[in-house]
Amino acid sequence: MGLLTNLKDSISRVTDGLFAADEPKRIGIYGPPNAGKTTLANRIARDWTGDAVGPESHIPHETRRARRKENVEIERNGRKVTIDIVDTPGVTTKVDYKEFLDHDMEKDDAVRRSREATEGVAEAMHWLREDVDGVIYVLDSTTDPFTQVNTMLIGIIESQDLPALILANKTDLPGSDVQQIANAFPQHETIPLSALEGDNMDEVYTKIAEYFG
Amino acid sequence: MPHQCTTCGRTFPDGSKEMLSGCPDCGGNKFQFKPASETADEQPSPGGDKPPATDRQSPSTDRQSSPTDRQSSPAGSQPAADDNSTADADASAPESSRPDSGTPDGQAANANASDSEHVRERSQEDVAQASARSDVVSPDELDRASRDVETGSSSPEPGSDAPTDTEGPRPDINDLREELNEQFESIRIVSPGKYELNLMELYDRQEYIISLQEDGRYVIEMPDAWGIDDE
Repeated sequence: MGLLTNLKDSISRVTDGLFAADEPKRIGIYGPPNAGKTTLANRIARDWTGDAVGPESHIPHETRRARRKENVEIERNGRKVTIDIVDTPGVTTKVDYKEFLDHDMEKDDAVRRSREATEGVAEAMHWLREDVDGVIYVLDSTTDPFTQVNTMLIGIIESQDLPALILANKTDLPGSDVQQIANAFPQHETIPLSALEGDNMDEVYTKIAEYFG
Repeated sequence: MPHQCTTCGRTFPDGSKEMLSGCPDCGGNKFQFKPASETADEQPSPGGDKPPATDRQSPSTDRQSSPTDRQSSPAGSQPAADDNSTADADASAPESSRPDSGTPDGQAANANASDSEHVRERSQEDVAQASARSDVVSPDELDRASRDVETGSSSPEPGSDAPTDTEGPRPDINDLREELNEQFESIRIVSPGKYELNLMELYDRQEYIISLQEDGRYVIEMPDAWGIDDE
């Protein structure tokens, strides 16, 4: 089965390459909850299409369904790159409704949010397996990147040979430590940014065009 | 001939069905268990050819007589049987006469203490009860019952019979569940609103969970036709 699956993957990638070279690449925005994925997705979408992707929130697991923004055309150095942005729910190994109770949420709502968040993680993992051509991995640079989730996801991305861009987000916050993230994943290039403030977005777009163009 | 009616003295071979309805002669329901070595020269009664049903029942009847058994069983056949050695009595006595009796005896023996106390408290057992018992009790039920009592106190012996693995309740169930979780589960519902996710499992599985239900069920989207062909 593994062999056949691998064969299928190989064939589909070859055919994708042959017949769908002009199709927009689907770029999944991945990362742990509250890293700023939706903020980044909205920033990119607004900058290049004028629309937003989804609501942002400081409450974890605001994004509980993957949302796609199609045909985002990014222009860099006279060259256009068209991508579909997939904003995915934050990936985690534990979801507990109690963490939502701190955000003035009723228990019923918190339990429902928790269930939806869990479904969202399943969906995100499914997208990673089936539906993305590249990954923008967003990390909160004020938190420790050495987590099981980060290690596992980066490992999966690498095993899939997906092009991956690591973004150290929230550089506008005082505790931001970009170097810590660069040290955690030295095999990848780490780009600092503040998706909220729009800091260093130029470099982010340049790298997106370079990695996924 | 390990069983003897304590009222009239009639003896029964091990596994006898007769005694399960009470002593046919006097109606007595207390029996004394005599170790095989003691009774061997009286009337060797091989138990190997007995149906397993009766064989498995013997522990329960043994239990009834275990208190007296302890008094009467000489040290000759079993070394230093102390008060909580009912299990030893059961295990050592039948070894010559019940070659086919496996661990169920040994397991049941652990339950003897509490079980026999219940039995002793019952002064009389009427015919209906006796009949019901003799007719209904099956080896499986007996196995289950004995294990229920010994819950948590001891795990099955390594050489235990197959049924203990499939229907044996408690002792290992948590371990087993954990093992199964680790092997198969991609989303573990710890309690309502509390989930643990096995990311690798979620990533590896071809089908995709689209909806979790309150009661622990979930809806999945099956792989598409192409995927099924591949499988």
